[in-house]
Amino acid sequence: MNHADSKPLATLENLSVGYDEPLISKINMEIRPGEIISIVGSSGIGKTTLLRTIAGLVAPLEGSINLNVQQRGGLGYIPQKLGLIRHASVTHNVGLGARAGTNFREEPLTWWKRRSERVSEAIALMGLSDKADEPVRRLSGGQQKRVATARTLAQQPQLLLADEFLSELDEDNIEVVVQAVLNYLEKSGAAMILIEHNIARAVEISHRTFSVREGRLTEFTDHRSEQE
Amino acid sequence: MIRRKTTFSLIGVGTVIAAIVVFDSLIGGDWSPLFGGKENFIEFWQEDLWPPDWSLLEARKYPACEASIGFFCSKAYIGMLETIKMAFVATVLGFIGAILLSPLAARNLVPKFISFPVRIFMAATRSLPSLIWAVIFIAIVGLGPLAGVLAMTFYTIGYLGKLQYEEMEGMRSDPLEASRAMGLSRSEITFLVVIPEASNGLLSQLLFMFEYNVRHGTVLGLVGAGGIGYYLNFYIGLFMYRQVMTFIIVIFVVVVLLDILSMFVRSFVNEESDVKRPSWKTIFLPPEAAVKEHLENTDE
Repeated sequence: MNHADSKPLATLENLSVGYDEPLISKINMEIRPGEIISIVGSSGIGKTTLLRTIAGLVAPLEGSINLNVQQRGGLGYIPQKLGLIRHASVTHNVGLGARAGTNFREEPLTWWKRRSERVSEAIALMGLSDKADEPVRRLSGGQQKRVATARTLAQQPQLLLADEFLSELDEDNIEVVVQAVLNYLEKSGAAMILIEHNIARAVEISHRTFSVREGRLTEFTDHRSEQE
Repeated sequence: MIRRKTTFSLIGVGTVIAAIVVFDSLIGGDWSPLFGGKENFIEFWQEDLWPPDWSLLEARKYPACEASIGFFCSKAYIGMLETIKMAFVATVLGFIGAILLSPLAARNLVPKFISFPVRIFMAATRSLPSLIWAVIFIAIVGLGPLAGVLAMTFYTIGYLGKLQYEEMEGMRSDPLEASRAMGLSRSEITFLVVIPEASNGLLSQLLFMFEYNVRHGTVLGLVGAGGIGYYLNFYIGLFMYRQVMTFIIVIFVVVVLLDILSMFVRSFVNEESDVKRPSWKTIFLPPEAAVKEHLENTDE
């Protein structure tokens, strides 16, 4: 997909993020459909705050964010701590994504069926079918990350914000999760902003990689375009 | 660090001294009843309280008992059962009221202009003890269990509601953030995210409230709001303390049983239940056999 031709899903203009003091300033960026953008850098420099600001959870200190996604279900967010309901089952957690991503008013008669189909497909894709009724708290860390991924896949967002959701995963789990997410992004044309500690992995899976240095977002290079 | 510890210790010692000074002023400096009352109590216990009048656990003379076991027609059973029924209904109604109101009082779920008035309402229902509510409802609906149920329901809404909104405010923020970013509505977040996430705490509080209402239900009878308290009041009025003692023992046994039941129910939902614990049977087995039995159970 040629990213440059399509209308941006998110436009960040002169954006400064932080709480009292700006952590990252003067961010100008366009995120187009199908694009994967990674942000790397050490801890505590504002990467998560940037993601939370794009997700609408923190107000920007300066500048603006224009999102061109549906208000409900258009934005997917996997927080660092995954945001799962620990006492609820895998199905319930994944069902939240499907609920956000489907609209009852559009097709009221088939809504329930569509929703359950999305849930079972996403759970099966993540290899969690035998754990569907288990409370999430009983699952291992790797399995919980797969539940969070399944929730996002069931939601089918246009823009996915993922905060270090690949860290602390073993190689097998990473393979399953990354492949499923990349397939979804390719099929749907959705975009992803990923915070990643592992620079090699970030470079490998993304089209553009940014690092945070001295409070500014600096682009590395457009790897995939170079490879192509 | 050491300086901080010293400050905390000084505050602790100061608080205890303040409590002693205030207590001294309350009793007018006369501490003698506290130390001289032992003989009185022993005399009261031997002459008036013990042995309890166990005949209250037998069938009443009137009306005629139709149950095969006389205990089920006894004053203790009938009174206690009525108290438990009142507590059960009040806890269920109060829980429904509280669970509908508490999300509106949690500051992480709604803006302050909504949470503030809801909190004021809850504080108002909580500010009067259920005994005072009972007096008010007796004036409205008359003597009997209805006044008792309404009194406990009102108090439960305020008390349980406070526990619930504090539980909700204390929950982890990441599930809330993920669902807000997804675009779920406030009601979806409340019922599909917050309540399931806080479910263990809410269940625990519900069981505590039931036990609390059973204990308080025994007191409500003192003002004519039904239950075992009616009999307690009756016998206290006649200075028949052996009968009162019987009812106190019955209440004690029921409260302990409820506590055990509540622990048992909670064990199904808390995280401890995820780890298979040794069964009671293993306590009576020799160590090697106990380990074998436990391992067999864990393999299931």
